[in-house]
Amino acid sequence: MFKYLIRRIVVSIPVLISVTIIIFALIELAPGDVADNFINPEIGYSAETLEAIRERFGLGQPAPVRYLKWLGNAVQGDFGLTYVSGEPVLAAIGRRLGNTLLLMSTALLVGTIIGVSLGVFTALRQYSFWDLALTTLSFVGISMPAFITGILGMYLFAIEWKIFPSGGMRPVQRDPTVWDTLHHLILPAGILSLAYIATFMRYTRFSMLEVLHTDYVRTARGKGLRERVVIWRHTLPNALLPVITVIGLSLPSLVVGAVFIETIFSWPGMGTMYLDAVNSKDVPLIMGMNTVIAIVVLTANLLTDLAYGMIDPRIRYD
Amino acid sequence: MSGQKKLWWTLLAMAMILSFSTATASAQGGGTLIGGFDVGPGGLPQTVPWVQTAGNTWLSKIWSPLVSYNEDVSGLAPQLAVAWEANEDNTIWTFTLREGVVWHDGEPFTAKDVKFTFDFVLSPGSTFSGPPQAAALTILGARAYNAGEAAELAGVRVVDDLTVEFELEAPNPRFPFKLVDSYILPAHAVNFAPSEIATTDWWFTNPVGTGPFMHEEFVRDQFWAVVPNPNYWNGAPRLDRLINRYFEDETAAILALEAGEIHFTYASGDVALQLGEKGYTLHQGPSGVTNYFIFNYRNPVFQDVRVRQAFLYAIDRQAIAEVILGGTAQVVPCLGAFPNMWPAEYNDYAYNPDLARQLLAEAGWQQTEPIELVTYYSSQFHMDAMAAQQQYLADVGINVVPRVDADGYNAYFYTGEGWQISYRGLGNNPGNYPFQFYETGGYPNAVGDTGTLMGQSFPELDALIAAARQEADPDRYTELLQEICAFQNENAIEAYMWTALRFGVASTDLVDFYWFPAPGGGPYEDHPELWAVAE
Repeated sequence: MFKYLIRRIVVSIPVLISVTIIIFALIELAPGDVADNFINPEIGYSAETLEAIRERFGLGQPAPVRYLKWLGNAVQGDFGLTYVSGEPVLAAIGRRLGNTLLLMSTALLVGTIIGVSLGVFTALRQYSFWDLALTTLSFVGISMPAFITGILGMYLFAIEWKIFPSGGMRPVQRDPTVWDTLHHLILPAGILSLAYIATFMRYTRFSMLEVLHTDYVRTARGKGLRERVVIWRHTLPNALLPVITVIGLSLPSLVVGAVFIETIFSWPGMGTMYLDAVNSKDVPLIMGMNTVIAIVVLTANLLTDLAYGMIDPRIRYD
Repeated sequence: MSGQKKLWWTLLAMAMILSFSTATASAQGGGTLIGGFDVGPGGLPQTVPWVQTAGNTWLSKIWSPLVSYNEDVSGLAPQLAVAWEANEDNTIWTFTLREGVVWHDGEPFTAKDVKFTFDFVLSPGSTFSGPPQAAALTILGARAYNAGEAAELAGVRVVDDLTVEFELEAPNPRFPFKLVDSYILPAHAVNFAPSEIATTDWWFTNPVGTGPFMHEEFVRDQFWAVVPNPNYWNGAPRLDRLINRYFEDETAAILALEAGEIHFTYASGDVALQLGEKGYTLHQGPSGVTNYFIFNYRNPVFQDVRVRQAFLYAIDRQAIAEVILGGTAQVVPCLGAFPNMWPAEYNDYAYNPDLARQLLAEAGWQQTEPIELVTYYSSQFHMDAMAAQQQYLADVGINVVPRVDADGYNAYFYTGEGWQISYRGLGNNPGNYPFQFYETGGYPNAVGDTGTLMGQSFPELDALIAAARQEADPDRYTELLQEICAFQNENAIEAYMWTALRFGVASTDLVDFYWFPAPGGGPYEDHPELWAVAE
């Protein structure tokens, strides 16, 4: 297990470096000059201004030199300063990361608990009214994009009924309390969790039904085990393996964020920061965010693989 | 009177006193106004002075320049300076400062602060940029001082505590217009280096200005709250608190307005008109940005005036402005966005597709492949307009295909390559005209092309621009702008379309609130000291 862990971490390093090279190359290949993003076409600019901007951001050197400089600093934990706000990249990411983690982990947690529970519930009542109703709703949940559920939720709960605030993370007129944070969190996290609920419910239901029809479950029942034991000890742990894969694949979203929901709910998270960074060609910020995201994806994949072993004792890593 | 009655009377009297004092307090307090002041094209959330390219509506609440635009951006209004005049050749400008102005921390404001500000931002290693930089660099000796080649900045001189003098590298009759977004900094309170202008936290933690409001709380990415400056030179503001909430986009701000969480935001034309029907108060004005087709003259086909005129005759600009743009745009005869920049008579290029076809035929127009109509605009407003333009042009035999490319846009113009026609916008007003776009050599680009933005020279226009640049008399200057307009109009050097109206939407409980869609947010005279929120 330990050897496996070390091997995976060592293998991840070239993958991570490759990701940064690809991202850097893509930014270089994109149309336009980085300096152009500091110019408003409605105001205009001169060649002299452009040169001053290039000099300020060190854009005069060839791309490979700039990349190697960035890499040399990055391995020492220095990701540079953002072009737009001028603050250290890691500080900017750290400030937004907490907000996104709060939003996305709440949504993922709610989605996992309700989705898996409903998946088990419907699988045990296959073709019943509840199964059909919840399956239909799950299709709606999967099909409906966040910009529909987000706007609809905002319209009903914030504008019409005024139950929740329309956006932001806290009230602006007083110091926030824990309740204030929750009050601002419920609506965006609730809307985000809908897709998770629908997805996890579908996977859990399918996987449960598959396991319920296996020989060893039939044998367990034949041995006269109580239904509760058959379900919770023999069926669910085996049915959860594919569900864990899906949840594992969702883990990167904890740091990537949700652009649309963050935008309309004015939730200052990673999603909107990433969008802003790309729009303004803020190279240090794009590189820093991609590196962090790549590390999270690699870690999530590793954790998912390790979780298999914990759920299924047949899986060995040596 | 029995003891019980006495108690009742005492309680009643106390209740009356309490209710009276509460009523008095609320009548004096102006409430808390929350707005999305940095939403829309004039906003720029979390920007700071001396690097800002927009966002001046908010910045001017804390800091003040010497002069600002007046309320409709048609002229200048005094701020920290009450008077200004130039010498005969417009190379030395003398500003008389307002008496009795104090900084937020109570220190007096003097001419030394003005001198300090320009010394500071022009220091070698300074990271200032944007429009304020462009203005500061025209001061005598500014470039040498900024480059570390001179020991001091020669062009800014303190005459006495209330008088400061600017000497310029070249005559500029409209130099004060260039200073509208040059905020003055406190010599005694700035505790960061010039190289930290763009990055210091000072702006957000303990800034000291002379504006109507003082810093209270800033939460990055969320809001900035300020409280009244009791010593503001134009009287202490009525509001108890003013808060600028940040929104990722216009939709989020509109939803917050409709939820009753903010009192004001910018809104695009179509949305603003809908909100107006719902009872919100609309604040509107010309954007000062003219939208037009710019032709790449490096393609000889666009050097024929008949082709360019055909573009204008082919498109029913009035119909697009009225129907597709819902009356939120005004057709213009030239680049000038304001009517006082137009001559008395001009060709209105009224819709005439037959004449367009005839002109194209005379010019020998033959098109084998579609021409890309490149733009950086992606809003529905402009997309709808471009779709209509495409149809009108197709009707006379001009096949254009709109393409949005915000990322590559500036590079096309910098290199002069990769574009044929562009639908773009250019901000202008009588005080700030983008002469460099039309002046030969005014727009040197990467390929060594010393022509104009469109790659062509117009000697007659050059002469008019040179005269306008030097003209000190406001009336004659306006005449020259009109002559420039007449030249642009007659020669259709570009195909001018319209200038859009821009809107702010406010809840009906705001009292004496004023907003104008000034380019970059102004700053302009908006009297925030009078604003209040009705109960």
